[in-house]
Amino acid sequence: MNSKSSAVEAGPLDTLPKVLLRNAAQYADRPAMRHKDYGIWQTWTWKGLCDEVRAFAIGLKKIGLQRGDAVSIIGDNRPRLYAAIAAVQSLGGVPVPVYQDAVADEMAYVLEHAEVRFAVVGDQEQVDKIISVAERLPKLERIVYDEERGLATYDPARLHSFKHVQDLGREEMRTNSGADAWWLAEIANGKGGDVSVMLYTSGTTGRPKGVMLTYHNIIVSAANGNKFDGFGPHDLLLAYLPMAWVGDHIFSYAQAYMGAMCVCCPESPETVVEDRREIGPTYFFAPPRVFENLLTQVMVRMEDAGWLKKHMFQYFLEVARRSGEQILDGRPVVLRDRLLYRLGDLLVYAPLRNRMGFSRTRVAYTAGEAIGPELFRFYRSLGVNLKQLYGQTEASVYITMQPDGEVYPDTVGRPAPDVEIKIADNGEVMFKSPGVFLKYYKNEAATKQTKTPDGWVHTGDAGFFDQRGHLKIIDRAKDVGRLNGGALIAPKYLENRIKFFPEVREAVAFGQGHDYVTMFINIDPISVGNWAERNNVSYASYQELAGHPRVEEIVAKRVDELNEALSQEPQMAGSQIRRFLILPKELDADDGELTRTQKVRRSFIAERYEALITALYDGAKERQLSIEVTFEDGRKGKIDGDVRIVDMKIYPNPSTEPLREAAE
Amino acid sequence: MKADVETRPVSASAAAKARGDVLLSVDNVSLSFGGVRALRDVSFDIRKGEIRAIIGPNGAGKTSMLNVINGFYHPQGGIITFKGKRRHDMRPYLAASQGIARTFQNVALFRGMSTLDNIMTGRTLKMRRGILAQAIYWGASQREEIRHRKAVEHIIDFLEIKHIRKTPVGKLPYGLQKRVELGRALATEPELLLLDEPMAGMNLEEKQDMSRFILTVRDTFDTTIALIEHDMGVVMDLSDRIVVLDYGRKIADGTPGEVQRNQAVIDAYLGIPH
Repeated sequence: MNSKSSAVEAGPLDTLPKVLLRNAAQYADRPAMRHKDYGIWQTWTWKGLCDEVRAFAIGLKKIGLQRGDAVSIIGDNRPRLYAAIAAVQSLGGVPVPVYQDAVADEMAYVLEHAEVRFAVVGDQEQVDKIISVAERLPKLERIVYDEERGLATYDPARLHSFKHVQDLGREEMRTNSGADAWWLAEIANGKGGDVSVMLYTSGTTGRPKGVMLTYHNIIVSAANGNKFDGFGPHDLLLAYLPMAWVGDHIFSYAQAYMGAMCVCCPESPETVVEDRREIGPTYFFAPPRVFENLLTQVMVRMEDAGWLKKHMFQYFLEVARRSGEQILDGRPVVLRDRLLYRLGDLLVYAPLRNRMGFSRTRVAYTAGEAIGPELFRFYRSLGVNLKQLYGQTEASVYITMQPDGEVYPDTVGRPAPDVEIKIADNGEVMFKSPGVFLKYYKNEAATKQTKTPDGWVHTGDAGFFDQRGHLKIIDRAKDVGRLNGGALIAPKYLENRIKFFPEVREAVAFGQGHDYVTMFINIDPISVGNWAERNNVSYASYQELAGHPRVEEIVAKRVDELNEALSQEPQMAGSQIRRFLILPKELDADDGELTRTQKVRRSFIAERYEALITALYDGAKERQLSIEVTFEDGRKGKIDGDVRIVDMKIYPNPSTEPLREAAE
Repeated sequence: MKADVETRPVSASAAAKARGDVLLSVDNVSLSFGGVRALRDVSFDIRKGEIRAIIGPNGAGKTSMLNVINGFYHPQGGIITFKGKRRHDMRPYLAASQGIARTFQNVALFRGMSTLDNIMTGRTLKMRRGILAQAIYWGASQREEIRHRKAVEHIIDFLEIKHIRKTPVGKLPYGLQKRVELGRALATEPELLLLDEPMAGMNLEEKQDMSRFILTVRDTFDTTIALIEHDMGVVMDLSDRIVVLDYGRKIADGTPGEVQRNQAVIDAYLGIPH
């Protein structure tokens, strides 16, 4: 193969299939992917991966894929789906990953909008979803599936198993000696300026938009990302976030290819924690929610631990809080604490890191939402080099990143390599970089709105640079509001603070155009459920648990703690929460209350729960709520009940200075 | 996708017609406990590859019927023919070795053992090596263990219970326990699978999952399934043919459509004075 691919190797490495060929030659026997199958980790080498991609690509050609065709990729992270992306790209097709948990209607919109001809999906569930909306997709011709379970009796006319397509490809290679050369020529045809992938943004408002990214966008961003933290062939990462999300596409696909890193796929979405522990990734990315859940699980388990363990845990956690971060950053620490930290590492931190799967983690990143400072410090103090980055699909991820040794919980770091940033007059962050997307697919108006003619992109986030030159994001630009008194209120900031408490899973703050701040709170069913079990509080449903007076007491105590903390911060003292309520249902993406990436859709919630917001501001003690909910299978039901409203104490401000402008 | 080639699962009843040989037949079976006549002169058959439901009001004798089939109860009268062999007297372990597996109305698992170990117990009948050889765990017995473990891992994968592989069964929610129990039954590689209320106490989503598993078991392993279920929606959707029992008597037998229209069935369910 070396002689045949020399034509490709001679040219620039400007597309990812070309990078794959390089890896297959240079790192032939090093692991490219691992996945757990029937309980045992299996390995694909770079050479093996390249063979799989080639067989699939030639098979796709046999069933009719043409250059320029859009191919949807839908399913949990599996090596075959990643291979499918490379195979489609090698033929000049455009992969369109779609969120695998999207309901059929959302999926139909993307498939229709992207004019998808082929879909490569994970399993029967996805096949069923597509079939259920088939009449809306006249352009869709064929479905290829990975997992064959349950699909044996389906009409095979337009359905193919992944293996079958590969068999077609292998058959072609056996009978036609020119097939391999043809495939290499197809790859050589690819250019850096070609569209490499189309990613639909979940979008907090309106229909999703198809962000078109070129190979150039992705390759420069991935190379910069690798260089920034020194990733290379010896690094391992776990691919477990949706493949349709730009982060996974860049980290688990582009960066892995560029750096010849090994990507590990978990056995199933439910086994991620266990799989991470077994793999021990050196690079780990997770949205704050994952870190929150991990911490909640640890805390819940510690509640059940014996006296000795509990006290040891608490003592050394305190040591870590005092000195852990300084030690991680290489700053001076008194000898006594240094020794205690060593001991703590032996007894508590190392076992804890091992349990969470961070034993070998060199770098961990979080992004997507601001992370609670306490949560952030917790991981860093345990010796996990957790950092923040700020990015967007439109930027091929990277806008700012935190360099080692300059990690602050309240900022998202310095501009990433090759990125320029400016702050607009209204406080909105704007950037320009080689990663800036080509355009939105079939949406000229949105492209114009987001991207200026000279290449600056509106992020939609409000923020400012602090004295250290680090960017601070306070909220969505459109969400930053004002109380009637004129003080600025950044709802997300408050929500993130309250969410650090293990009992709170989600929160929505209000205040714009009112006299004071109020909040909706979602309790965390795991943490509160565990508490209920230990305290003999019986309940039959989430609604009943959420409405329990003793749960309300606990949450009220947490809100009180937050208010007291806020009163200490001159800029935030005015944002203390005066009234709150506990929602009787979990905010859910199926009801449109969260995006698929689990972000709160504020305006939608405000509309849906209008009656409750009115109650928060008219002094009512209780309000009747009756709303429609969607179950996972798409059926609708109703939730009825009274929601109580709790009044909170407001702490006096230490200074009367109002919250200053964000851009200052 | 064009409508003319719309891809749908081949309809269940059509598949059943393509199958067809009688796997098990029950002829004039009567069973009584003292003066209580649990089954009176019941006859029906189960064809290879079909999903056969047994329904009826509470106390109609459904579970007794299953118990008779797998040899737990011994009927006073009647003949049971399984795979062409007639028999009067059956023992549960014999039934298991001949290819009949079952799950129970109230989950009957080893609560302190992990999911993996529970399903592994389903392989016991297939283990050839003696206790001593297994304890030494060397050579052939090691290879055998690995072979069985592989079979169990396929079942775990199939039932989507990978995340609870090592969790003690007693800690699992009810719906998952039911799934583990199905796994253990499948581990014996049965020809006939008896399911006693596989969906009792489940929420809608769990029921859907379980229905999917049952259909897939039939379609991929060609296992014949007899099930008792109270959820009529599930029964009508899943089964190829239905036997209806009432007060130990068979009052109807036929396809879901036929049974739904049957006056005796409607009366039994709505209740008329006897």
